[in-house]
Amino acid sequence: MIYLDSAATTLQKPNQVLWAVQRAMRTMASPGRGSHRAAELAAQTAFACREEAAQLFGVGDPERVIFTCNATHGLNIAIKSLVKPGDTVVVSGYEHNAVTRPLAAVEGVEIRVADGPLFQPEEMLARFEQLVTPEVACVICNHISNVFGYILPMDEIAELCMRRNVPLIVDASQSAGTIPIDMERWKAAFVAMPGHKGLYGPQGTGLLLCNAPTIPLVEGGTGSASALQQMPDDLPDRLEAGTHNIPGIAGLLEGLRFVRRRGVAQIGQNETGLSQRMALGLSRIPGIRVFEQGEGPRCRGGVLSFRAEGHDCEELGRKLGELGIAVRSGLHCAPLAHKTAGTFETGTIRASISAFNTMDEVERFVGTVAHILKK
Amino acid sequence: MVNYLILCRSLTRAQRSAAVLKRAGISAGIVRCPKEISAEGCSHCVKIAGRTFERAIALLMLAELRPKRVFSVDGLGSFEEVEFT
Repeated sequence: MIYLDSAATTLQKPNQVLWAVQRAMRTMASPGRGSHRAAELAAQTAFACREEAAQLFGVGDPERVIFTCNATHGLNIAIKSLVKPGDTVVVSGYEHNAVTRPLAAVEGVEIRVADGPLFQPEEMLARFEQLVTPEVACVICNHISNVFGYILPMDEIAELCMRRNVPLIVDASQSAGTIPIDMERWKAAFVAMPGHKGLYGPQGTGLLLCNAPTIPLVEGGTGSASALQQMPDDLPDRLEAGTHNIPGIAGLLEGLRFVRRRGVAQIGQNETGLSQRMALGLSRIPGIRVFEQGEGPRCRGGVLSFRAEGHDCEELGRKLGELGIAVRSGLHCAPLAHKTAGTFETGTIRASISAFNTMDEVERFVGTVAHILKK
Repeated sequence: MVNYLILCRSLTRAQRSAAVLKRAGISAGIVRCPKEISAEGCSHCVKIAGRTFERAIALLMLAELRPKRVFSVDGLGSFEEVEFT
């Protein structure tokens, strides 16, 4: 199989990740829940994972690295910590349902959408400049669009938020592991990311980097301050009720180490290069529209969307699947992004790259698309 | 022989504290707090030898890892809370 659905989940993982998961299941219990060796090993693994993530993402203090089930879980904590009924929130026009649904669930929230066109970061920034006014409770923005691979101008958006003293929540679902992230430089209130995409951890893992007061999403046992009936005030315990996913965390630790060894910039550069080659190849096929940027500095990562004239995207995705190529079709859980880009009615086909894809796979993919459309 | 138990706000804080001390060559182990000194229930402490106490506290303060509370433990297992600054 040629796997090009890494924007959803990276399927190919480093072997160390698989071995770590298995080792954890055989030898580790739960951190802080006992004085025995199995609990200690679990605690050491969790701490090592927090430290690794803190170093990779510029978090000064590993206590502010929270384990979550996925990015959606982290975004829910962040949104529920900062957004109150009746608040005004600014989001980019490329947000995922992981942001828009939790916002819709808060009563009376006014959502202002910074809806600049694709691959025009200056226009996007100008829209944020217009919309981020003093009464705004927070800005929520994804770093890379999960549909189009559009890299939003996060440094500038973060700088704007700092200048206007508005908390920033970053959805780093597509960027973690492919673009350097520096939480301290952004001064972001929260950065949420999955463990199972560009960090090569198992499904069911995620990280929330915290730099603002928090409200727990779930209450329960933390292995600390057990006599009290309130959640502890201190991170990470405040946000980590219940038994940890230690096999997942052990795998995520190895995924983080893989990313650090290989280098985030190197991984990102490789993915972008392959994706550019894919865009070029697809654009030469008659009837295909590729959502690729024009001239100027790179603002698209390893995620590429396209449409084929006269072909339903779901149907084309199915045919590719039958021929052993894994892509994702439809709205990609991001209807807002499709509305902003004008593709809501049709959806797109998305092909997304990981560190394990090769130029040969990209060329075979392009050839297969051409072959299907010729028929 | 007197040892000290540095009561921490969380297991992760205890792990950070122990890591700072170990990096400075101070032997530090993480233990669950005896019930006697932990009114809030399950907690974690960093255990250090008496002779390293002052240096350990100084290092933790420098690293902005202020202990929640500190107790001395004598050879008979009696605890006494210790003031620190």
